[in-house]
Amino acid sequence: MGKKYTYYPGCSSESSGSHLDVSLRAVAPKLGIELEDLNDWNCCGASVAHVEAGALPASALSARNLANARAQGNQDVLTACAACYLKTHHTNEKIRDKPGFKEKINEALGAAGQSYDGDLHVRHACEVIVNDVGLDKIKEQVTNPLEGLKVAGYVGCQTVRPFAGTEGGGDYDTYEDPEFLDDFIRSTGAEAVEFDSKTACCGGAIALMSPDRTLGLIKKILDEAKEKEADCIATPCPLCQQNVEMYQAAVNKEYGTDFQIPVVFYSQLMAVAFGMDVNKDACLDRNFISADVIAQKARK
Amino acid sequence: MSDRKAGVYLCKGCGIGDAVDMDAIEQVAVSEMKAPLCRQHDALCSDEGLKVIQDDIDGGEINQAIIAACSHRVMTDRFQFNGTQVVRANLREQVIWCHPANDEDTQMLAADQVRMGIAQAAKFDTPQPWTEGDFNRRIMVVGGGVTGLSAAREASLTGHEVLLIERADSLGGWAAKWSRRLPHRPPYRDPQDNDLGALVSEVEGDSKITVMTGALVTRTEGMPGKFTVEITRGGAAVLETVGAIVVATGWRPYDANKLGHLGYGASPDVVTGVELEEMLANGGIRRKSDGQAPKTVAFVQCAGSRDPEHLPYCSSVCCGVSIKQALLLVRSDPDAMAYIVFDELRTPGTAEEFYRQAQEAGVVFIKGKVKSVGADLTVTVDDALLGEEVPMTGLDMVVLATGMVPNSTNPDAEAEADEFQEQLKADINPAVPIPSAGFANGGEGEEPQEGFPWPWKDKTPTGGSILNLQYRQGPHIPMLADGFSDSHYICFPYETRRTGIYTCGPVRRPMGMAESADDAAGAVLKAIQAIGNAAEGAAVHPRAGDLSFPKIGYDICTKCRRCTVECPFGAIDEEEDGKPVVNITRCRRCGTCMGACPVRTIGFDNYNVQMISDMISAVEIPDEFAEKPRILILACENDAYPALDMAGINRHQYSAYVRTIPVRCLGSVSMLWVSTAIERGYDGAMLLGCKSGDDYQCHFVKGSAIAKERMSKVGETLKSMMLEEDRVISEEVSIADSARVADLIDRFAGKIGELDANPFKGF
Amino acid sequence: MTANMAATIPGQSARKYDLGFARWVYENIEGGDKLSMCMQCGVCSGSCPLGTEMDYGPRKLFMMVRAGMKDAVLKANTMYNCTSCYSCVVRCPRGVPVQYILQDLGRAAARMGYQEAKTTDNARFAKAFIWSTRKFGRTDERLFTFKYYLSFGLGEAIKKAMANMSIAIKLVKTKRMHLGMPHRIKGTKDLNAILAKAAEIEKREQGI
Repeated sequence: MGKKYTYYPGCSSESSGSHLDVSLRAVAPKLGIELEDLNDWNCCGASVAHVEAGALPASALSARNLANARAQGNQDVLTACAACYLKTHHTNEKIRDKPGFKEKINEALGAAGQSYDGDLHVRHACEVIVNDVGLDKIKEQVTNPLEGLKVAGYVGCQTVRPFAGTEGGGDYDTYEDPEFLDDFIRSTGAEAVEFDSKTACCGGAIALMSPDRTLGLIKKILDEAKEKEADCIATPCPLCQQNVEMYQAAVNKEYGTDFQIPVVFYSQLMAVAFGMDVNKDACLDRNFISADVIAQKARK
Repeated sequence: MSDRKAGVYLCKGCGIGDAVDMDAIEQVAVSEMKAPLCRQHDALCSDEGLKVIQDDIDGGEINQAIIAACSHRVMTDRFQFNGTQVVRANLREQVIWCHPANDEDTQMLAADQVRMGIAQAAKFDTPQPWTEGDFNRRIMVVGGGVTGLSAAREASLTGHEVLLIERADSLGGWAAKWSRRLPHRPPYRDPQDNDLGALVSEVEGDSKITVMTGALVTRTEGMPGKFTVEITRGGAAVLETVGAIVVATGWRPYDANKLGHLGYGASPDVVTGVELEEMLANGGIRRKSDGQAPKTVAFVQCAGSRDPEHLPYCSSVCCGVSIKQALLLVRSDPDAMAYIVFDELRTPGTAEEFYRQAQEAGVVFIKGKVKSVGADLTVTVDDALLGEEVPMTGLDMVVLATGMVPNSTNPDAEAEADEFQEQLKADINPAVPIPSAGFANGGEGEEPQEGFPWPWKDKTPTGGSILNLQYRQGPHIPMLADGFSDSHYICFPYETRRTGIYTCGPVRRPMGMAESADDAAGAVLKAIQAIGNAAEGAAVHPRAGDLSFPKIGYDICTKCRRCTVECPFGAIDEEEDGKPVVNITRCRRCGTCMGACPVRTIGFDNYNVQMISDMISAVEIPDEFAEKPRILILACENDAYPALDMAGINRHQYSAYVRTIPVRCLGSVSMLWVSTAIERGYDGAMLLGCKSGDDYQCHFVKGSAIAKERMSKVGETLKSMMLEEDRVISEEVSIADSARVADLIDRFAGKIGELDANPFKGF
Repeated sequence: MTANMAATIPGQSARKYDLGFARWVYENIEGGDKLSMCMQCGVCSGSCPLGTEMDYGPRKLFMMVRAGMKDAVLKANTMYNCTSCYSCVVRCPRGVPVQYILQDLGRAAARMGYQEAKTTDNARFAKAFIWSTRKFGRTDERLFTFKYYLSFGLGEAIKKAMANMSIAIKLVKTKRMHLGMPHRIKGTKDLNAILAKAAEIEKREQGI
């Protein structure tokens, strides 16, 4: 039996990033991760709530989730979404460390009869896999190694920045050249291509509100993936997955290119390599740029 | 020495024996040069090799050893035979390591090296040190601020008596006015207590230190070990004898009245950093206009510093001081805001920590040049980062971080006679190679090189001299264009151009309290060394320990005064009739006087005009049909000769036609040597020395500049001999130039090869 | 809050340069206390993915804060071109949390009524986003996106929606967008009480 974590799926798990949620839930037991859903979780506010709602209300969103998690008992709160992780982790650290902040947050939580004092540990799924699970455990589970599959490991921003190198963030990788995703890819038997854009920005929420400002950023990522002859791009971040997949058509239209590169989550690669169902578990049918190449490469 | 018995010892070690035919060399030494004894050995520096030489000495066979082996710069401790004269011929670094083995030209070069060594030995006498009379070991320290106090204390701790002279009525200087000082101990983040009072007490309670306050040095004569100083105190003068002098006269703030464009004088609330310091020490910062504590204060950095119209240099401490003052302001009043407007913030080393501390405390740093400060305290900043002019309004006070002016003169004392002012003017003019020569001819018409900041071009430093030296070259300690005392910045920072007199602290360059205290320790150590060496008759740096000194043949001397004018250290005075008198312990033994003497009657026992001429003449000159040109290199022993040795060590190959003779300084080069070489049939001559100019590297400060000046006249001489001007050149070489020097030689040899052979060959 | 911001209403500021502004930012903007540590090296601006879209890069914006150029700072589009990639935060050699400061400056500008700040895409987007959060407790990508489109007017909204129709269809087909009622949490009442209280505290603390 594995370790138990309170799981905060985040809003994208119910919509555009549902394939991360489903595939992660599928591979978690094989990695010894037991997920217990956070009760009545709400939106984290991501990188946009602050501008309209203000700093303290934005933090209060995370504080309510943390107060709920506290009541559930598990010490560790796990989330797979970069934005959910960043906001929740940051709020947790501020409550714990920033003088006067805990009092203000608890005054706000008090409006619903709740309280929280910052004693939980908010963790990213990737950090948990590196620090608690280990690469060996992934390799042990591989029954269908993805041999011959060339994958561009695209880490993005908020998964590692600004906490992956901090003690509270598990100190599991660097900001400039993170290795963990390439390690995951190689553990599934696939090849991780050298990918300089691994920590480039896809435009984040600005891509959603005004794509014209960010198509160039996405194009650069696609350019390198193509140059490196990657069969697919793998990422841990729901917004990265969405932007790079969803806007490929727009990039092609704007720049006259013909990108058709599947963008998947590392957990989807794992599910295929672990010999699980390519649609029910690995959710390859949820990629609208066909990711069948992954299933084809998997050696049965 | 009348009865010379010179033995020649040929070393075959380090590959010399494999690259050169040593039997042939022995033939040259014995048959041609008539050496009474010549021996070969496989490794002369081994115990067995040394024993061979020692046995010859003990057996009375020889009284001079000519050792043809490695460079004279190495194995000096091995090749020492109890006072027996040793002459070295360099066969390793400058022969086999930089020329092909078993080659005709390499062989000829090796033979010439031995010929030159034998010629040198024939004119080489062991110098006897000059130690006449009593030598005083007391150190006079001039200035009782942080530098002088530290110097006095350091000197006392080494057991020396100290005479401490302070112009003011009490000790402490400027530093005594500061409430808090810049951090000089970890963690370097907070202003520290001013601990100067403790140092004053230590000095006052020190039985080895005699303190004279309210006193001025009004006259100084003599030389290291034998200075006589006149000290005037309350109208009465006393004479004291001291061995060395440390000048720690410090600095004064730049006159803010000259900074009208920065609002000084227009508003009482524009103050200088020093004025703010005085407020801090006397109850806190208050506006002069209404006595209120200011809430918003701007600090204007580089007020008059790094400004060609005012002080062209960085005063080094002002950034730190403003940071300190801003920190004290915002810490004493949480509502107060401090703005530091800087062009470039200079916080070297640990001062960076202090800068960070001020940033953390909320001090606002604005990068830009302040254009003006108005009477209403509006500061107009040309903001470098925003690229526009930013007016800062609503300020309660503006603090001008004014710079440091060195007290290399005493502004309160009367200026000396006009002639000395003229000399000072020439002295600080970087375009005048021989300042005291400028004194002789008025120093007019000289302009510094273009773009050289020369703030006092038309404004000689005002005031009187600090020591009133009774020297032929005037009362001042020579100073640089910016008024700081002249010293060899890289190698000998405390040395002035007056031996036995050492400057330290802000009179040498701008510095703060901690640095001044360190500087004082360095200067005191040099003063102690000067006293010790003077008593032994030995030179101080860079020829530390040299016992030779210049001897003048008065029977030939024409009293032309060139030596007294050109000596870079003012070592030679004149009697009424112009007769030169060497003050031996002032002398640094560079030989510039020897190079200057038109009748060649100045020389050292172990280094003289005839010796080098004989060495030049000893070289075998092949006739013109052999097509083997010969090039004389006179290489300064301080940088150029070591660079040539380094070229060998690095195996840089260069022309084997050169014949190199080390000289003490290019200043010592007699033009006779160049003409001897040409007359003997050399095809070219090359002088290799240190960099001259305002950023000189010359170890004797002015030697290379003087040589350059003299060389400018060689071309005329060559032309009168119907020879090409470019047969004689001069190059500046640094000690690191091992590859470059080989290249310079090859290029010159190439040029000489293109010319016809010297027609004087075999003449 | 100690420093006063007398001239918080744009247009009423008589001076272009307000020396009190830096102090106000230091004390009231999240991470602003660290802004004083900026040494103007420009690593932030050089690292910024959308730096080219900005009126001023973060380095220059911070210099403007120090110089007291309040209006120019709060009218700048810099804050709304931040993608929250945090490159500046992890690279700043002086530990200045650049992204946090920009984000909060953007919020402050909108609060202080700067029209430029209130009409950005970001402001409209954030408004729609928070609407969904307040109403359902979660982000409903369909509804908040359409609400965002609507902020440009009905005609514009339909145009934008049509332009993105093919994406929406693909999302539905791949089970990444559902067609039924919004997902909502049980505790929306509690959540809104908490948010209201937090907003009240913040206003009390900062005065804007």
